[in-house]
Amino acid sequence: MTKAFRIPWLLVYAIAYLVFLYLPVLLLPLFSFNDGTIVAFPLKGFTLKWYAQLGQQDTLLQAMVNSLIVGSVTALLATSLGLFAARAYVRYRFTGRELSEGLVMLPLVIPGIIVASSMLVLFISLGLKPSLTTVILGHVFVALPFAVSIMKSAFDDFDQSLEEAAFDLGESVVGTFRRVTLPIVAPGIIASLLVTFTVSFDEFVLAFFLSGNSPTLPVYIWSQIRFPAKLPNTLALGSLLLLSSVLLLLIAEYYRRRSTQSSD
Amino acid sequence: MSEQNIIEIKGVEKRFGSFVAVSDLNLTLKEGEFFSLLGPSGCGKTTALRIIAGFQDHEEGEVRIDGRTMGEVPANKRPTNMVFQSYAIFPHLNVGDNVGFGLRKTKLSRKEIKERVAEALEMVELGGLQDRKANELSGGQRQRVALARALVMRPKVLLLDEPLSALDKNLREAMQLEMRRLQQKLGITFVMVTHDQYEAMTMSDRIGVMFAGQLKQVDRPEVLYSQPCNREVAAFIGGMNFLNADVTAENADTLDVNVQGFGSMTIGVNPNVQVHDKDLLVGVRPEQLEISAEKPDGYDANVQGKVSDVAFYGESVHYYVRVDGLPESIAVAVPNYFHTVDHNRGDTVWLGVQSASVIDLGKRESLGGEK
Repeated sequence: MTKAFRIPWLLVYAIAYLVFLYLPVLLLPLFSFNDGTIVAFPLKGFTLKWYAQLGQQDTLLQAMVNSLIVGSVTALLATSLGLFAARAYVRYRFTGRELSEGLVMLPLVIPGIIVASSMLVLFISLGLKPSLTTVILGHVFVALPFAVSIMKSAFDDFDQSLEEAAFDLGESVVGTFRRVTLPIVAPGIIASLLVTFTVSFDEFVLAFFLSGNSPTLPVYIWSQIRFPAKLPNTLALGSLLLLSSVLLLLIAEYYRRRSTQSSD
Repeated sequence: MSEQNIIEIKGVEKRFGSFVAVSDLNLTLKEGEFFSLLGPSGCGKTTALRIIAGFQDHEEGEVRIDGRTMGEVPANKRPTNMVFQSYAIFPHLNVGDNVGFGLRKTKLSRKEIKERVAEALEMVELGGLQDRKANELSGGQRQRVALARALVMRPKVLLLDEPLSALDKNLREAMQLEMRRLQQKLGITFVMVTHDQYEAMTMSDRIGVMFAGQLKQVDRPEVLYSQPCNREVAAFIGGMNFLNADVTAENADTLDVNVQGFGSMTIGVNPNVQVHDKDLLVGVRPEQLEISAEKPDGYDANVQGKVSDVAFYGESVHYYVRVDGLPESIAVAVPNYFHTVDHNRGDTVWLGVQSASVIDLGKRESLGGEK
């Protein structure tokens, strides 16, 4: 009897927590379909015009292209570096391994604003003008810890005798890497590419400091917030980004799980 | 088995820092031989195997395979192939591609590769399973794929690192016989590393016993069992009762000894023992002892004792008998002929032994102590 009257506090807490966390995010798509420039309740009516207008805004599209370039290059660089670093960290015991691993992971805990301002100072003193290149350099720095940890878990479950077996069967060192190592860690590589791309695509502070005249999408969106008329467009764009981010992460998670399963 | 030497190892030494993993290894293997390296974990047997395979460098000495000095020859250029303990089946490839992996680097055409793979799979009784995925294989099947993948390369020497340790008991015993048959049919030299004495004995032509990086004895299984070179080897292969003995006279091929508890007898000199001394250690296998309620006739020595423990093994019954004046109880194994356990705890029994069953184990290191 008493059981029926008990309040499930844990459940209440969990729901409250989720609402607090995701309600603001859910407001974004909601207002992106609202037929009015003012972001407030009550809703005016359903429209797709904010989405339709997106295609005609050249600066926005340019910012989108910038972000795609930065994201792809960052993902490729960070994942390649992460692949080799992770293999070394998992396979070999060498002097300075732990120190170097700690240093690679450091960007996770250094405040972005510090990294951004010091990188800006550094690049300018080196004569590098803020551009997409400098953004890419900054983004590789912050994306690397993600790449290294994902690739490390891919190599953790990797039975080293698989590589030895390939070598023993007459394959060369490079051939072994291509025919055995790469295919087995491929799900990890895909997961790392997706995650690092997302990290770069969403990153604001570094891009804000380092992008100069070619803003990435988050920087562009920030600059548009000042114009209330453009706000619904921004919301529409934001909703699309949210959707693609979620999709990318779902795909990345799928591959990450496959990578841990396949090497059992 | 021909008289041709396929592997010659001379004075090979491998150190990891200050730890000597393999010390002064000398070994010559004949073509077509099934050889096992037997020893407890950490004795250096796997390191020795990896030196032969080319996965492990070594500081001193020389390895010759098929008349060629291996030196810096890497593993992928050696005429050896290996079956790994984990089997190392490529998880992203199906059975056919696993077995054909090494052949892709040869000049064989696709058609020839297909034929060789099919033939290899037939050989390990996995015929027609080419398209089976790696993760759909059972433990025994993985082992067979690993075997086929190495044998399809037609190596001069097949190296096996604890190939059966991952299988359950029944499957392991079946595979022991099967691998032995396969080896005899193909005539390829097999070098197997194992810590399982029975596995080594049932499969091998010769066994090398390793302790702490040193190869202590290399012999046929029967010789290893009947004439072990020292206490360590005797204890590692089968059960053994160790007894102290005093040498009263040394003859050409025999020793007159006074065995603690059993009294005086004349035993054969063990040719594998290096150092003899007045203080001698002798051993008696548990199954070579007679146990009975009455004093048995026709034995060279008898002793009376009390049964302290009885262990029923199914195919045999083990009795542990306390004898006055002996530090440890004597183990006696009796085949289970009549489904009876004849003696119980606390019973007074007689033990009988023939002097031919008493094995000379050389100089006694310390009184009844370790090694």
